[in-house]
Amino acid sequence: MLTISLQASLATVLHISSPKGPPWEFLVVFATLLLGPVIFKRAGVPGIVGLLLGGYVIGPHCTDLIGSGNSTLPNLGQLGLLYLMFVAGVELDLNLVRRYRGATIAFGLLTFALPMAFGLAVGLGLGWEAKAAILLGALLSSHTLITYPTVRGAGLSADRAVATAVGSTVLTDTLSLVVLAAVAGSVEGGRSSVEIAAQLVIGLAVLISFSLLVLPLAAGWAFRLLGAERSVRYVVAITAFLSAATVAELFGIEGIVGAFFAGLALNRLVPNEGQLMDRIEFFGGAVFIPVFLVSVGLILNPSVMFEVHTLELAGLFVVACLGGKVIAAWLSGRLLRFSGAQAILLFSLSSAQAAATLAATVIGFQLGLFDSSVVNAVLVLILLSVLASTFTAIYACKRVSIADHGPQSLGTRVVVGVGDPDRARGALAIALRIARADGGIVHPVLVVPESAPFAPRAARERLAHVAATAGVDGMPTTIVDRSVLHGALRAGAAQEATLVLVSEGPEAPEVDFAEVSEPQLTHTAPAHPPPVAIVHGNAERLGAVHTLLEGDGEAPSVGSEMARRVAAGAVTPLDEGDPDWHASLAPGDVTFVSTRIGEALADAYEDSHGLVVAMLAESAIAEQGVQDVRGFSA
Amino acid sequence: MTHARLRRRLAPAGVLLLLAATAAIDACGCAGGGLGAAGTFTPRTPGTLTVATAQVPDPGFWTGTIAHPSGGFEYELARSLAARFGLAHVRVIEVPFDRLITGHLGGADLALSDITATTERARHVAFSVGYLDAPPAILVRPGTSVPDVHTAQRLRWAVQVHTTLQQVLAEEIEPSRPALILAHQREVLAALRSGRAQAVMLDLPVALAYARESPHTYAVAAQLSSNEDELAAALPHGSGENLEAVDSALRALSSDGTIERLGHTWLHTDLQDGRAEQVPLLRTEE
Repeated sequence: MLTISLQASLATVLHISSPKGPPWEFLVVFATLLLGPVIFKRAGVPGIVGLLLGGYVIGPHCTDLIGSGNSTLPNLGQLGLLYLMFVAGVELDLNLVRRYRGATIAFGLLTFALPMAFGLAVGLGLGWEAKAAILLGALLSSHTLITYPTVRGAGLSADRAVATAVGSTVLTDTLSLVVLAAVAGSVEGGRSSVEIAAQLVIGLAVLISFSLLVLPLAAGWAFRLLGAERSVRYVVAITAFLSAATVAELFGIEGIVGAFFAGLALNRLVPNEGQLMDRIEFFGGAVFIPVFLVSVGLILNPSVMFEVHTLELAGLFVVACLGGKVIAAWLSGRLLRFSGAQAILLFSLSSAQAAATLAATVIGFQLGLFDSSVVNAVLVLILLSVLASTFTAIYACKRVSIADHGPQSLGTRVVVGVGDPDRARGALAIALRIARADGGIVHPVLVVPESAPFAPRAARERLAHVAATAGVDGMPTTIVDRSVLHGALRAGAAQEATLVLVSEGPEAPEVDFAEVSEPQLTHTAPAHPPPVAIVHGNAERLGAVHTLLEGDGEAPSVGSEMARRVAAGAVTPLDEGDPDWHASLAPGDVTFVSTRIGEALADAYEDSHGLVVAMLAESAIAEQGVQDVRGFSA
Repeated sequence: MTHARLRRRLAPAGVLLLLAATAAIDACGCAGGGLGAAGTFTPRTPGTLTVATAQVPDPGFWTGTIAHPSGGFEYELARSLAARFGLAHVRVIEVPFDRLITGHLGGADLALSDITATTERARHVAFSVGYLDAPPAILVRPGTSVPDVHTAQRLRWAVQVHTTLQQVLAEEIEPSRPALILAHQREVLAALRSGRAQAVMLDLPVALAYARESPHTYAVAAQLSSNEDELAAALPHGSGENLEAVDSALRALSSDGTIERLGHTWLHTDLQDGRAEQVPLLRTEE
């Protein structure tokens, strides 16, 4: 009583009002993001469930801290959903998907068709109008990769089953949303089947063209021109997926499909180990995706969700949806030779219902095809599917071993040792082209001579600028060593590089070329020293690519593989027997030469020869005896 | 077969498949059958949708007679609802307005009678989702100009009792003289024709319908801004499933353009965001 009267008095004197407005709403949301997972994890319940239930607690059906009229959180949730789909696309290992495209298509069709068929059967069996039954089938057949962050955190993003499930998302969600658009178009008056189909076909064509042609060019240009600032690169990525989502919605296609395609479009530009990806994952995991889950929780309403009729419907939907997904995962496991744990992983990634399901349900309600009991039954399905997906993901992740995917590709991690930043542009551009073929990353390393003042700031900043304008995503590190070559080798060992390039500094590299021979490996395993090459010269833009390698035309070598990746077109082998072979080179041309030729050229090199990349042999690396690393971050 | 060739062949096949699927989906609507997902409507009289209304004829909304209605926006809306529910017949009964809004529908399944949904009325009836925006409007004799609220305040007013318009008149216009409060819309219009009133407050679609039917007798001088006034169907309290079914049906009729078509046909209006472009907005003090 005393406290209440004191509060009343204080309120009168100090004019204290109850909390409201954007700061209060954001405080409630972020407190939920913080506390929801923490509280539920202590109870052994996955954090995802904590976020869902946290959303319910703060929502209009519980404490009403976030009222039903609030549009900020649902809008942020929509952004979070687009972000989730974008991340799934940008993280996808396209080489894996390409390698497993048969499995992706097969699983995608199964995990779409079976729930679609079961949903259609349920709807027709309940006596529903055919369009409503078809829409039910479509909404049950999609899935949202809610458990992908869990799987990725377990180190399984490169697993065949994961790549299959993630890749299949494109197929299932696109098919599901195409059916949605067709049903909506047929219900809305005055449009024929031809018009609806034409709009969908044209829309998908425009979206794919925009995402896979326009976006990579625009983003690449933006990264080169504007991307010296780290924050700018991040904003470019956000802008890219929002633009693709907008283009999708112009044609009646859900924005999540556009966001996913945008992720695929930027896949090569955003290496998984790079700083930009790190930022994308950070903000996604900390804010955007959790906000989406909280916004889903807002709509949970137990008072209507647990009515008898609603629960009956929900039971049928759960059987149709999860039953179809289970059978699809099991069949795919048998047909595609997945292990039992991998099949469970397939199910866990393909069973969670949220985004496309919600979109289809809301549209069905607005079209008058569904009443509120159907909507609430779908909410029950969403909650149960997320629970099932989460628990099975945790179970499967413990049982799927992180596969040894064999030797890493040449471009997985390319370290570029730089002595003079002003002469590094060409080497960095070469490194980038080699890395992009594998979705790899380039690490620029400024090598400072032992005798020089430590880590001159100007040189570091200059290298960072040159790297950014070359399109490299990563901040340079600094290492002190007796030569650029030695420093690059040490940094390569520390970074587990798959290729080391040395951008020739003011002093000549200390290598006895007579002692070396060219490595014959296209790929290199982590246990072995990586291929090393010296890059003579510099260029703002790379031109034609030539090779002058011993054994050209025989088994592919590292040098020829590098040349192939750098070349935008054909690679021209030069004739070593021609004493004036270097006279035909133009500034900007890139010539890959063997060690012996590189040694001979070293003293006679001129800038007019363009860039000359001289290969070193593995034995030379061993002779350097790099046993430890002295490296310093910039 | 190379991948490129396969893709070239698959692409047109995919388009044809999409077209065929879309045509199949489109054709499904013609098959009829139960609604189910959109709720099930159970009429009091099997096979018949019984609709209550306060006044027939009501220009634009109900034409003909109670026994033989021949058209009108709400009559055609009732027929569309009956078709969606699979009911072969529509029967119309006349019930006074003040009884409709207090929940006495006279045994009808629902009421369609220019009823604006309000919180107070929702205590007695169950309202469907709105099917027509209905901001207040001022109906006058031709030649009477009402440019602003001050002019409006000086007029002699008439309004129907127990309507939301009565409250709007009192709160938004605040006439300088007491308004004539009359029991029936017919009496309100009679007062306007006789000169006992210079202006009456009606729902905009209703006012436009009267002005169109009798342009030498009536004119719509102005409309008032409102984002909340909508006409809705009224069902007996506790209708539950029937209400769900009516709501779903109205959303469907809105999605497929039926309601818009009926508005053009019978009311000759194109209300955009609750306003009629050709009717000026009454200037009020902020």
